[in-house]
Amino acid sequence: PPANAGRAPGPPDGGWGWVVVFGAFISIGFAYAFPKGVAIFFKEIQDFFGTSYSEIAWVSSIMLATTYGAGPISSILVNRYGSRPVVIFGGLLCGIGMVSAAFCTSILQLYICVGFITGFGLALNLQPSVIIIGKYFLKRRPIANGLAMAGSPVMLCTLAPLNQFLFDNFGWRGSFLILGAILLNCCVAGALFRPIGAATASVKTQATAEGKDALKEKVTKDAMEMSSPVNIPMETKTEEEGGKDCCEKINQYLDFSLFKHRGFLIYLIGNVLMFLGFFAPIVFLAPYAKHIGIDEYSAAFLLSILAIVDMIARPTTGIIANSKWVRPRIQYFFSFSIAFNGACHLLCPLASGYTGLVVYSVFFGLAFGMVCAMLFETLMDLVGAARFTSAVGLVTIAECCTILLGPPIGGTLIDTFGDYKYMFIKCGAVMVLAGTFLFIMNYYNYRMLAKEEKERKAKEEDPKSVRTENEGRNNWNKEIVRDGPELEPLREEREGLKKEVNGT
Amino acid sequence: MPAAFSGKRPGRRLLLLCLSLSLSVGSPADPTMTPQDASQSQVNSLTKMQGGLNESTPEPTTTTRTANWQTQGSPSDHLTLGHNVSIPALLRPDLTTQEFKQAAKENVSNVTFVEYEVLLPGVSGTSVEKNITLDSAAGIELSCRLDNKYSHLKSLQVTWKRGNETIRHINKTENSWSIQLWILDNSKLGSYSCTLKGEEEISAVFLLQVPKIEGREKPIISYEGDTAVMICKSFGYTPIAWTWYMTNGSEQIAINDSLLADKYVINRISASVTHLKILKLTKEDDGVYWCEAAFELGKSKGKLQLKVLSLMVPLKPFLAIVAEVVILVTIVFLYEIYSKKKEKRAGDEKEFDQVEQLKSEESNGLENSSARHRRV
Repeated sequence: PPANAGRAPGPPDGGWGWVVVFGAFISIGFAYAFPKGVAIFFKEIQDFFGTSYSEIAWVSSIMLATTYGAGPISSILVNRYGSRPVVIFGGLLCGIGMVSAAFCTSILQLYICVGFITGFGLALNLQPSVIIIGKYFLKRRPIANGLAMAGSPVMLCTLAPLNQFLFDNFGWRGSFLILGAILLNCCVAGALFRPIGAATASVKTQATAEGKDALKEKVTKDAMEMSSPVNIPMETKTEEEGGKDCCEKINQYLDFSLFKHRGFLIYLIGNVLMFLGFFAPIVFLAPYAKHIGIDEYSAAFLLSILAIVDMIARPTTGIIANSKWVRPRIQYFFSFSIAFNGACHLLCPLASGYTGLVVYSVFFGLAFGMVCAMLFETLMDLVGAARFTSAVGLVTIAECCTILLGPPIGGTLIDTFGDYKYMFIKCGAVMVLAGTFLFIMNYYNYRMLAKEEKERKAKEEDPKSVRTENEGRNNWNKEIVRDGPELEPLREEREGLKKEVNGT
Repeated sequence: MPAAFSGKRPGRRLLLLCLSLSLSVGSPADPTMTPQDASQSQVNSLTKMQGGLNESTPEPTTTTRTANWQTQGSPSDHLTLGHNVSIPALLRPDLTTQEFKQAAKENVSNVTFVEYEVLLPGVSGTSVEKNITLDSAAGIELSCRLDNKYSHLKSLQVTWKRGNETIRHINKTENSWSIQLWILDNSKLGSYSCTLKGEEEISAVFLLQVPKIEGREKPIISYEGDTAVMICKSFGYTPIAWTWYMTNGSEQIAINDSLLADKYVINRISASVTHLKILKLTKEDDGVYWCEAAFELGKSKGKLQLKVLSLMVPLKPFLAIVAEVVILVTIVFLYEIYSKKKEKRAGDEKEFDQVEQLKSEESNGLENSSARHRRV
C-alpha cells in the first residue's frame, strides 16, 4: 500500500540495542573519565620533567579541548562511514597515543601523544556512541541515553583506584603502556555497534516486508538512476534539482543548515552559556573543602559521594524522562535541571562545615547527573535522529570554548577575591540564567512547533495525495541519504533486486 | 678573674658588671630569698638598669611562634606569646668562652627569646610532651605553667632536668617556672623536662630537635635505561647543605656528582628542595637512598627507595590485555556473521513462503518478474 511505502519502520528500541547501549557505556565512560583519571600521574611527571604544575595541567586541557573540538570531524566521518569504523579507529588511536606517551622524553611530546592523539581518539569514541543510540532507540531513547551516559561516573570511579594501583606498581611509564592497552577496549565497544538504518535490516517482521515491497516498486521505477550506493548522494542531488551543488555536498558531510533550525539554535545558545559554570565547581570542590579546614581524605570523599550519586541519578533521570508525562515536555525538564544545578551552587556558600558540604555534594551529584543524562537526549529530541550526527559535532565544538574557559575564570575569581563563594555565585548565576533562557525559548519553540504541525495537517487534508506521496518518498530518500552508510544490509538487498530487474 | 677582666672594659659595662656581681654575691647570703626569686630580681633590676642606661633597648614586643605540637596526655596545653627579653651574655655564668663570644656577638644584634609553654595537668603520673623544631641557633625559653585552679597546692618544688643533669637558674613567676636556654649547637638539643613535686609528681618534656626531612614512603619506580629523579624537601627550614647517600649493603656511601657526572646529577632547585637525578639506570641502582640536610644545629635524614624494573614487567599485562581485546573483537564479529547467516536463511525461507503466497494470490493477475527470478 502506497501510504505505508513512504514511511520507513522505526528503530528497534530493544534487542541488540541494549548491547549497543553497553558498548556506548564503555566508550562514553572512557571519553569523559580518562582526562580526569590521568591527573593522578601529573605530580610524578611534573617532578620527572622538572616543570611547573600549570605546564602539566595543559596536558589535561589539550586532551579535553581535542575531545570536544574534534567533534565536527567525528560527525563528518560518521556521516561518511558510519559509527562502527570510526569508533574502532578511535580506539586504535587512543591506544597508539598512550603507548607512544610511555616512551616520551619531553613534555612537548606528552602534549602531542596524550593531549592530541589520545584526545582525538576519544573524540572519535564519544560522538559515534551518542549518535548510534539515536539510531537504535526512539521510544526508549531517554532510558538508553541515561544508561549510556552513566558510563562516565562508573568509569571514573574505576579508573581512579586503577590508575593509583598501576602507578604504585609500574611507575608512570608502565602505567601509560597498560592504559594504552585498556583503551583498546574501545575497539570492542565499537565492534558491538552494528550498523543500522532508518529501516531495520531484520526480515523477520512484516513491517520490513512491506518496506521491501515499497523498495521493489521504487527500484523498478528508479532502477536506471541508481548505479551504486556511493552515488546515492549525487543522485539525490539531481533528483531534488537543488541549485546549490557545493552546499549540498558540504551538508552531506556536516549539516550547516542546522543553523537555520530554531530548536538547534536555542539548544546551542543555552548550552554554551551553561558550560561556563558547569565544570568549575567540581574542579574546585576539593580545594574549597580544604580551604575551610577539612582534611584531604574527607575532601576527596566528597568527590566520591558526588560520583556515586551521579551514577544513580543518570539512569533514573533517563527513566523519568521516558515517562509519558515528561517525554513530551522533556525540554522543560532539562531547563529545570540546569536551574536546579545553578541553585545548588548559589546555596553552597551557605553550607558550613563538613555536613553542609556533604549535603551540597549529594544535591550537586544529583543535578549533575540529571543534566548529563539529558544533554544529548534533548538535542536528539529537537533536531531528530537524522540530523543529530551533524548537530552533535557542531554543538561540541561550540561548547569546547566555554568548557575550557569555565575553570580558569573561576580560578581567577578565587585568586582576585581570595574567597571561593564568588566562584560559586558566578557558576550558579550563569546556570540559572541558562536554565531560564532555555525554559522560555523552549516554551516559544513548542508553541511554534504546535502551530507548524497544525499547518502541516491542514495541508495533508488537501486532496492531492500524489504530491504527498512524492513528498513522502523524497523525505524517505533524504533520510536514506543522511544515513547512507548505515544502510549496508538494505543496500545489499537493493543491489540484489536491481540486478534482477536489470537482468529481465 | 672577673675583676681582672673588668679592668680592661671601660664605662657602662663595668658598672653593669659590678652591679651584677654584687647582686649575685649577695643573694645566697640572704635567707629570705629563694634562688628563683634571686634570679628573677636579678632580671628585673637588670632590665630596669638597661632601660636607664641603654636608650636603644626596645620596648617589650610580643612575638608569636606557631608550631605543630604533638602532645601526649592532657590536651590543655596552649602556646603563649613569647616576648623580647634581652639578657646580656655577660650574665650567663654557664656559658663557655666560645659560646660567650658567640652569644655576645648575637647580643649586639638584639636577640629574641622565643617562649614555649606547657600547661601542666593536675593529674599526676601523666607526662606531657612537646616537640620543638629548631634549625639554627636560637635562644629559647621553656616554661611549665600550672593552672590557676591548682595554685592552692603548697610546697611545690620544680626541677628542670636535661637527662640526669639538673638545670639551675629557673625563673619563677606566679604560676610558671621557666628556664632560658641558648641552643647553639647539636649538643644542646635533646629532651628537657620539668618536674613538679608536691603531693603528686607532674612532669612535662620538651623535645628539641632538628627539622625532619620527608622522603617518600612508596618506592619510586623506574626502568632500565631511563632516568630517575628523587626529590627531598625540608618544609619551612633552609638547610645549609644537602648530601645524598646510597646504601651499599649496610653502608651508606655519599654520592659524589662531580666524580660521576654522567651518572648522577645533584641540583639544588631552591633553598629547601634538592634533586638527585640518576641517569642510565641499571639493576644495581635499585635500593635505598638517603638525603641528608645539614642544619646549624645538626643533620637530618630522609629515606627514599628506588625500584628499577625491566621493560618486560609492564609488557606482560599489556600483551595480555591486547590479546583479550583481539579475542573479544573476533568473537563479536564472528557472532555477527553467524547471526546474519541465520537471519538470511530464515529470511530466505520466509520469502519463499511469501512468494508462494503471492503466486497463489496472483494466479492469473499481475506477474511479479523479480519474484520468479528469486526462486532461483
